[in-house]
Amino acid sequence: MKELLEIGLQIAGWSLVALCIGSFWIPKVLGWREKLAGLTPLMRELWWTYSIYVWGSHVFFAVLALGFGDWLMGGTGAATAMCTFILLWWSVRVWLQFFGFDFDEIPDNATNRIAKGLLTLLFIGLVTLFAGLVCWNAGWLGGSR
Amino acid sequence: MSTTEMEIGLRGAGLVLCGLVAANFVAAKRWNYAENLAAADTIVRQIFHVHCAYIIAIISALAVLCLGWPELLMDGPMGRAVSGFFGLFWGSRVVVQLTYYDRNLRRQDRGWDVFFLLVFLSLAAVFTLAAFA
Repeated sequence: MKELLEIGLQIAGWSLVALCIGSFWIPKVLGWREKLAGLTPLMRELWWTYSIYVWGSHVFFAVLALGFGDWLMGGTGAATAMCTFILLWWSVRVWLQFFGFDFDEIPDNATNRIAKGLLTLLFIGLVTLFAGLVCWNAGWLGGSR
Repeated sequence: MSTTEMEIGLRGAGLVLCGLVAANFVAAKRWNYAENLAAADTIVRQIFHVHCAYIIAIISALAVLCLGWPELLMDGPMGRAVSGFFGLFWGSRVVVQLTYYDRNLRRQDRGWDVFFLLVFLSLAAVFTLAAFA
């Protein structure tokens, strides 16, 4: 199980790197600039600020997965808390993917369908991995305790 | 700076972060987020609310960490990495405030502008110090 989680962390880390790089294209593909043109300057500024900080958090999660895997699997209270926080983060994102966002305004073409499918797969994978890490740290998978 | 002093600083930062969480809700009312977003596309409105909620979640989690377990933020490479990340997080918020936000709007609310600049600057200082403590 330990090896599986270690491989999972590597895959998750590099997938998050891909997500962070791919995020640079999201504003263009989804036409954010045009869609945001009608907002007041403050709302536009808040929009971009929030977006960049959420992106920054994803970069940090990638750094954690790739650089601090041993710590994340260390069985300490802090590691369990961090894994639980990231699990909650991505669980909410999965819920939003299925029940929150209204994707009707996004053009229904092959590229967008593939991108949506890959993103959904990534979010579900991250939830599964971090649920596994929480269980591992709690000692429920014959883990570190 | 001693570990005890650093812990006091981090607990203080935790209180400030609680204030920032509350300030997010006040700001939403003061700047009429709902009204200003009413005419926007549904997906734009939804993404704005989601990003706003995630930012509040990350600040709340950090506040809990600072108030409950400040020693973890100085404990080993991981604690220092988290502190370093939040040092950058708040340091960059100072830069955003100074270089990106509308100057006229900042001038209209100069008192709050300076207040929040000092808040972000203090948070950046505390977390950067914790990273190197």
